[in-house]
Amino acid sequence: MAAPIEVSGSETEAHPEDLLKGVSGKAIEGRSLGQIAWLRLKRDKVALGGGVVVLLLIVIAIVGPWFLQDPLKLNQDLIDTTLQRPKDGFLHSGISKDHWFGVEPTYGADLLARIVKGARVSLLVAFLATILSVVIGSVLGGLAGYFGGWIDTLIARAMDVFLAFPLLLFAIALVGVVPDEVLGLKQNGLRIWVLIFVIGFFNWPYVGRIIRGQALSLREREFVDASRALGAGHFHIFFREILPNLFGPILVYSTLLIPTNILFEAALSFLGVGIIPPEPSWGNMLTLAVPTYQSTPFYMVVPGMAIFITVMAFNLLGDGLRDALDPRAR
Amino acid sequence: MKKTKPIALAAAGLLLTSVLAACGGGDDDTSTGGGGGGGSTAQNDALTKVVNASDKKGGTLRIALSDDFDSLDPGDTYAALQWNFSRLYARALVTFKPVPGTGNLELVPDLATDLGKPSDDGLSWTYTLRPGLKYDDGTPITSKDVKYAVERSNYSKQLQTGPKYFKQYLADPDKYKGPYDDKADFKSIETPDDSTVVFKLSKKFAEFDYLASMPQTAPVPKAKDKGLDYKKAVVSSGPYKIDAYAVGKSLSMSRNPSWDQASDPIRTALPDKIEVQLGQDANDIDNRLLSGGLDLDLAGVGVQVPAQGKILGNTDQKKLSDVSTGGTLSYLALNQTVAPLDNIHCRKAVAYATDKLAAQTAFGGPVTGGQIATTIVPSTVSGYVKADAYPSGPDNHGDVAKAKEELAACGKPNGFDIVMSARSDRPKEMQMQAGLQQGFARVGIKVTFKNAPFSDYITTLHASPDYIHKNKIGIIFTKWGADWPSGFGFLSQIVDSRAIKPSGNSNYQETKNPEVDKLLDQAAETPDKAAREKLYAQIDQTVMAEAGIVPLVYSSQLLYRPASLTNVYVSPAYSGMYDYVHLGVK
Amino acid sequence: MGVPRDPRGAHRSARPPPLFSFIIRRLLGAVGLLLIVSLVTFAIFFLLPRLAGASPDDLATKYVGKAPTAEAVAATKERLGLDDPFPIQYARYVKGIVVGQDYSNGPEVNHCPPPCLGYSFVNNEPVLPTLMDRAPVTLSLAVGAAVLWLIGGVSIGVLSALKRGTVLDRAAMAIALAGVSLPIYFTGLLSLAIFSYWLKIIPSTQYVNFKDDPLEWANHLSLAWITLAFLYAALYARLTRAGMLETLNEDYIRTARAKGLPERTVVVRHALRASLTPILTIFGLDLGLLLGGAVLTESTYSYAGLGTLSISSIEKGDLPMVMGVVLLATVFIVVASLIVDLLYAVVDPRVRLS
Repeated sequence: MAAPIEVSGSETEAHPEDLLKGVSGKAIEGRSLGQIAWLRLKRDKVALGGGVVVLLLIVIAIVGPWFLQDPLKLNQDLIDTTLQRPKDGFLHSGISKDHWFGVEPTYGADLLARIVKGARVSLLVAFLATILSVVIGSVLGGLAGYFGGWIDTLIARAMDVFLAFPLLLFAIALVGVVPDEVLGLKQNGLRIWVLIFVIGFFNWPYVGRIIRGQALSLREREFVDASRALGAGHFHIFFREILPNLFGPILVYSTLLIPTNILFEAALSFLGVGIIPPEPSWGNMLTLAVPTYQSTPFYMVVPGMAIFITVMAFNLLGDGLRDALDPRAR
Repeated sequence: MKKTKPIALAAAGLLLTSVLAACGGGDDDTSTGGGGGGGSTAQNDALTKVVNASDKKGGTLRIALSDDFDSLDPGDTYAALQWNFSRLYARALVTFKPVPGTGNLELVPDLATDLGKPSDDGLSWTYTLRPGLKYDDGTPITSKDVKYAVERSNYSKQLQTGPKYFKQYLADPDKYKGPYDDKADFKSIETPDDSTVVFKLSKKFAEFDYLASMPQTAPVPKAKDKGLDYKKAVVSSGPYKIDAYAVGKSLSMSRNPSWDQASDPIRTALPDKIEVQLGQDANDIDNRLLSGGLDLDLAGVGVQVPAQGKILGNTDQKKLSDVSTGGTLSYLALNQTVAPLDNIHCRKAVAYATDKLAAQTAFGGPVTGGQIATTIVPSTVSGYVKADAYPSGPDNHGDVAKAKEELAACGKPNGFDIVMSARSDRPKEMQMQAGLQQGFARVGIKVTFKNAPFSDYITTLHASPDYIHKNKIGIIFTKWGADWPSGFGFLSQIVDSRAIKPSGNSNYQETKNPEVDKLLDQAAETPDKAAREKLYAQIDQTVMAEAGIVPLVYSSQLLYRPASLTNVYVSPAYSGMYDYVHLGVK
Repeated sequence: MGVPRDPRGAHRSARPPPLFSFIIRRLLGAVGLLLIVSLVTFAIFFLLPRLAGASPDDLATKYVGKAPTAEAVAATKERLGLDDPFPIQYARYVKGIVVGQDYSNGPEVNHCPPPCLGYSFVNNEPVLPTLMDRAPVTLSLAVGAAVLWLIGGVSIGVLSALKRGTVLDRAAMAIALAGVSLPIYFTGLLSLAIFSYWLKIIPSTQYVNFKDDPLEWANHLSLAWITLAFLYAALYARLTRAGMLETLNEDYIRTARAKGLPERTVVVRHALRASLTPILTIFGLDLGLLLGGAVLTESTYSYAGLGTLSISSIEKGDLPMVMGVVLLATVFIVVASLIVDLLYAVVDPRVRLS
């Protein structure tokens, strides 16, 4: 991913082409192969572990906020207002039996509750943005690969242009000029959709490139020829024959794109153009922790570890999926 | 707060003895002239006296700033630190008395021999320049240069950063367009001879001397003016000349050979050189200050949170710090046209329900956040009179009972919904909103937010009454600091109904009280300072009585003065930063 | 990349490439790209706010300062040409790059020679010198880290591939996976807290000019270099390992081994060389992007480089400065990919420039 490359994103940009090679035809020729893939995945304990963590995170993000304290509830009595940090707890973290992860240093809001609420935002943005780029990327990449000719040239050029943009800067600039109310949405309600759009929209060429390559080889295959010989139209062939066969690479790619998008969202929030505090997001929690990391280091570690664990889990799962769908990788 | 004070005093007492013992050898080679003590100081000493008083010349004053100057050009700056600092190379007609404490708020002549002399009708102010004044290139300073400086800074379309008070108060029948685009002579500033300058006003203004204290009256020789680029080629009229200025990086100054101590009763000019590093990391500046690698943080807004802990947690460091009041008020403007705040009882309910302690905490607590505010005019501004129209309870979390009473009187016993705003790119303000929101919720006032980034907020969005009305924003958070430390300088832009503008408005609550306007006019025409100050207190109380403004905190800052810095004292006239004209180094 | 490896390829010398026409064509493409990028950037800042309902007055008000009187707004609007229609403003900008720009500072007129990127709306500084002033910081940061991560990442990747399945391989890959999952703004803060604040090994991250003191220069950058290199090295190690494993399975490697070539030669001359090609592509892209402003690293460590310049300019709405950084960043990306393409010919003789 160009923009958050600094966030170590170029991974997804880099490997799918190399590593998905095997996924193309063979892996998706029939249900039996899907079953083989599932068997393989079941044997991969690390990937399964990642998958379990991912599932847990999703469940926690969805139901957690109902069981935890209000992330905006303030406990001003826990704070030493002069030194601007919690009075008690390990390393002035405010950790206690009521606040397992400690409290934030200004008003004493519960960090566990904030992290969980932040997970909701992070995962929501990452998932929807991924869906957006996968949809745009698959359709455009597929069209380019399937039709070739001027359509391919046009779409491929567009992708080149996108790849040359300094995307993080663009994303920041775009978020900055969005009016403060669009379609009745405002503040964070609007910000979330803007983030989804910006992240998703700027990522489509990466998906597009890979799908295009896959489609290029698929269109030469016998079953496509057969379908064409039977008189099927482009529309039918593209949506019924080509796209379903791209399911494997799309799945793997999506799984690897989600963690990148989590990092992207956190980066934008970290730079102050994402979710607006006090509404928590992992990125803006880190920003708020910057001035106080020396006096209450724990405040920085909590959101940092949340990002790390989540991204790691998705990466493990994605790696496992890729290996499972790619017989050659073993 | 009840807790901190005795502790601080006790600590200071302890310090005194320990330091005296430690200082036995006496590495303190400064003379003990002036009001300062010998080697030992306590926290907050610089608020009331000159710390490390010295007349030792020489050395290099090492300064750092996390940002750049808004401009080195004295005619194009609107930053308090720059108004303070520019006096080292640009002398205005008058300036603030270089003494600690409230005496600092008094004006004294600088380039002029005396304060301005108003004519009998109060419509013209005359200043006479001292004899023998020279620029650093040796050419003489004349009154025409003062006239030119005011013309370029207030009337040209190029220099837009600074305030335009001269333009506001001087008569201007011909719509003068500034010296760059208008070749006609500007008739409202007269220079009958080379040492006299006369300002012609369109209406009486008793505080004109404050305008003359702005760096805009520092002389600029027309031949050397480069307009917007003058900041890189400033000609010095003060004790230091600019040797090199790399925008955003560094500034070096050395003694101005043409400056004559005899012509300057204000400055002592102790250091031989002044080096300013620009664009430094704020935390790094603090670390260097604390470790002795730096003499001064030019920003003058106090240390960052990490350093705050190191200073307050260490008795040796603490005695080298001062908690000074910044002269800025954070407040909630309650817009009187937005229902239900058009009802005074609903406004009072908001005033009582405001959790001021939450606001104070969000801004950094009692030390770096500020003291809880109860008046509009802050305590360091002349015209302050202690008052508290809406006491916020013993713990300053607000008075819930009173708020409920007012709600009942307003006909909304169960509270109401209202929109509140603050600057979305200021994390502290976003936190404060959450704190205040919960405070209001206690009495059923349900607050939703409509925020915007600072640059839009103070110009086109929230500073536009249309926008406020359209979005029904009843509670507008803002901060205000005076351009000059008098009640007039503080109040005139924020409570005068005639100051309401379609954009860039700062009368956010839209106070439209003829009584207030009348009092302001009366103050502008009252030559007697004490009488004026009474009027300011009266204005303050009038606005408070109609609950247009809910004061939150008077800003304060934790300043640090390394042991290497001499002649240090806090200047209330310049937002509570140290006074930069006297500083020296050991 | 999907092309089967040609066993003879590594030994066959390529025909002399039509280098000159290749470079010319690429440069023309680059100019077109820059035009598109600048147009889009311009549109984001000028067209979008207008479409969203802001008037030229609203835009001008941002650049007036603390006292936005109607006259001041009008004067600023005129001075910055904000009243002109969008195409005219854009044309003026492009013209400035090609023939330079005249600019009145009040009493005199300055000429800004081509390529003139205009003047800051905020402090009236010419854009190009400001960029040139910031570039060394970003350059030092990016190149230093790049050297570290390329050497570190590739060697770990090769070692892992050769020792596949061993504890070493597993440990290296586990760390690498952790590395790609860590954001710089977290590891950066953590490294600052540990090395600068608690252990006090690293003095501070204030940039020191290389010319002034090379040792201090390296000392003040080392923390950022290592942190940044760690994240990238993780990625490169994974890629190198995957590439190596794939090439080591190729027929021609087996052939080379069968011929009795020393293992060292097989690994370095044949396998590594082939698997470096994709690494090189990514390296070019990564470096190009970093040079255009390591936004997150610079803001984490508070370096005054191009990245922090772009962020602060966006915050202040300083359009000419943003345009400058974006264009420079695009130039870096384009040049990096051009160099990578040229290097391909060196590393992989099968590649023809076309």
